[in-house]
Amino acid sequence: MLAQIAYPEAIEKALAEIESLLSRENKLSLDNIYPISRRSLALLVLQKDPTLWERLEQNDKLLAEIEAAILIASEQLGEPVTAAIASSRQQLAWQMEQQVLREPSEAKTPLSETIHKLTVNPITGFPILVFILYFGVYKFVGEFGAGTLVDTIETFFEENINPVVNQIVATIIPWQPLQDLIANDYGIITLGIRYATAIVLPVVATYFLMFSFLEDSGYLPRLSLMLDRLFKSIGLSGRAVIPMVLGLGCDTMATLVTRTLETKRERLISTFLLALAVPCAAQWGVIVGLLAQKPAALLFWAGFITVVFIVVGYLTAQLLPGKKAGFYMEIPPLRLPKFKNILIKTYVRMKWYFFEIIPLFIWASVLIWFGRLTGLFEQIIGLLEPITLALGLPEQVAPIFLYGFFRRDYGAAGLFDLQQQLALSGNQLVVAAIVLTLFLPCIAQVQIMIKEQGLKTTLAMIAFIIPFAFFMGYLVNFSLTILGVSF
Amino acid sequence: MQCNKCPMKLKCSDSPRQKKRGLLGFFRKKKETTTAESVKMTQIALVGMPNVGKSVLFNGLTGTYVTVSNYPGTTVEVSRGQTSIGELPVAVVDTPGMYSLLPITEEEKVARDLLLFQSFDVVIHVVDAKNLGRMLPLTFQLIEAGLPSILAINMMDEAQQLGIEINPEYLERELGIPVVTMAAAANFGVNELKARVAEYVSSNCLSRSY
Repeated sequence: MLAQIAYPEAIEKALAEIESLLSRENKLSLDNIYPISRRSLALLVLQKDPTLWERLEQNDKLLAEIEAAILIASEQLGEPVTAAIASSRQQLAWQMEQQVLREPSEAKTPLSETIHKLTVNPITGFPILVFILYFGVYKFVGEFGAGTLVDTIETFFEENINPVVNQIVATIIPWQPLQDLIANDYGIITLGIRYATAIVLPVVATYFLMFSFLEDSGYLPRLSLMLDRLFKSIGLSGRAVIPMVLGLGCDTMATLVTRTLETKRERLISTFLLALAVPCAAQWGVIVGLLAQKPAALLFWAGFITVVFIVVGYLTAQLLPGKKAGFYMEIPPLRLPKFKNILIKTYVRMKWYFFEIIPLFIWASVLIWFGRLTGLFEQIIGLLEPITLALGLPEQVAPIFLYGFFRRDYGAAGLFDLQQQLALSGNQLVVAAIVLTLFLPCIAQVQIMIKEQGLKTTLAMIAFIIPFAFFMGYLVNFSLTILGVSF
Repeated sequence: MQCNKCPMKLKCSDSPRQKKRGLLGFFRKKKETTTAESVKMTQIALVGMPNVGKSVLFNGLTGTYVTVSNYPGTTVEVSRGQTSIGELPVAVVDTPGMYSLLPITEEEKVARDLLLFQSFDVVIHVVDAKNLGRMLPLTFQLIEAGLPSILAINMMDEAQQLGIEINPEYLERELGIPVVTMAAAANFGVNELKARVAEYVSSNCLSRSY
């Protein structure tokens, strides 16, 4: 029976010392507060656990005595106490493993090992990535989700639902403004619900389906491993690949997942990049759908956003002081995902997403209605119009940016809608897509950013992002015009 | 749990008594509520390194769904659910992965702090059978901390495919805590785990009674 691990003598001595010091301080008797043993608490204090140390900081004398004990122990050991403690535990663990576990002596290299090597080696790994992007993203999400599915549902809405709703509302509600709230061009049902179900939903559904498959297969950590070097150059470790790829699904979710990153600095950089240069599924899905007819424009948009991502990331990393992140991550086994699991996961994510966006889309419709009724909407659009025109875009695009304030995907859906009515030129589409991609994160994401990084940091990020997005749009339009490029 | 982050609270002199109660009372209250709850509901925590299948087990035990995937760090917040073992109503808590009781990242801190601030009737340490040796140090730390632990060796199916054999009885004797082998994703061994939890809870109640 394992009563307790015996650590090297120097550590045991320090532990005894700390235990007696702690019990001497009645006011701070930690073992009354925490439901774990005194020895365990002493071990944590010995390893300078921040939570416990914060409690002790009220007592300078005690702290000095503990510091002294730690110093003596590490001098006797010739290594940091944390390392010594970890290695005595690990030694015992290996010993025990040997006793209880039998492994086959000659390990055969299974197929999964070969695939693993192919995915992490940049020479074969990048083609695999391109393959996945082409079929998973471009073909499946872009063409099938944002193309075929959106078209089908949109047509259904426009032919069967909108006219009926308009007609019913017109007959039962006599007052025109109230009619507009529910139906007509900007109504809750005819615009809000339609955007949510006909444009955003199919895109998000196909993306989540593809992403769930990648997730369960174990490919993503291998992608992290391969991209580690690239990410290091922008001050992030390969670990940050997962929040970034997750951000391509939903930036709000991804901002929460930045918690898995080790340093504060890394979390800050990745939160910022998520807010600026990582479009969410609904956004890029719609953009891919819009630009699919013009592959050159699509590549330009993707390339431009990637360059912004890398350059801004690099500059942020240079500006922010702090330790560079190391890379350490579990590489889970490659598995063939179970179809049922993927479906359940996609369903759960969809449900979560849908219930999150529906109220927001409805609110947006109400706000727009209110804005139009009071003339506020026209005023703000009036302010935005010069900017829109400076970007070489028709004035009808101005409301799209206003939608973007509410939600990125709402703006993207608006752009999609507009394209069907107006037939924007290739250049105009590219500029609008770039501005929308870089533009302000949605309300939900801002909430999470405030929760994770604080109000000040969040406001600072937003204050940078909005002008930056328009400036980049201006720059692209200007350069394309000067160079005489048209998509 | 944010309370301890704010050392100012103790220093506030305008209403020191109240503030003090606010800080220390926070934990006391927490303990009280958990003991009050545990009269009717047994508290179980699932802990372990990232990507060992805690969330799969959580889903299997509670019948609810939290997102699971094949990469570490999917769970970044605590999820709570309920189940019953025989007649016994049980509250189950799923935690983000942690490597040791000394946290490095935020999500590890979430898991560790849960063990520091809430008392559990059973702490199930979920490990990957393929990497037993690397995971045992956390088991040692849980035992060291005096937490009522059970070791659940998960992913036995994958280990068997690699030809790995494990002797749980021997490990049980060595560690002095219950050891269960399972494959939660294939729903194998979950019932045995439940049985062991029930056994453990009732024996602990006996030994704890006055």
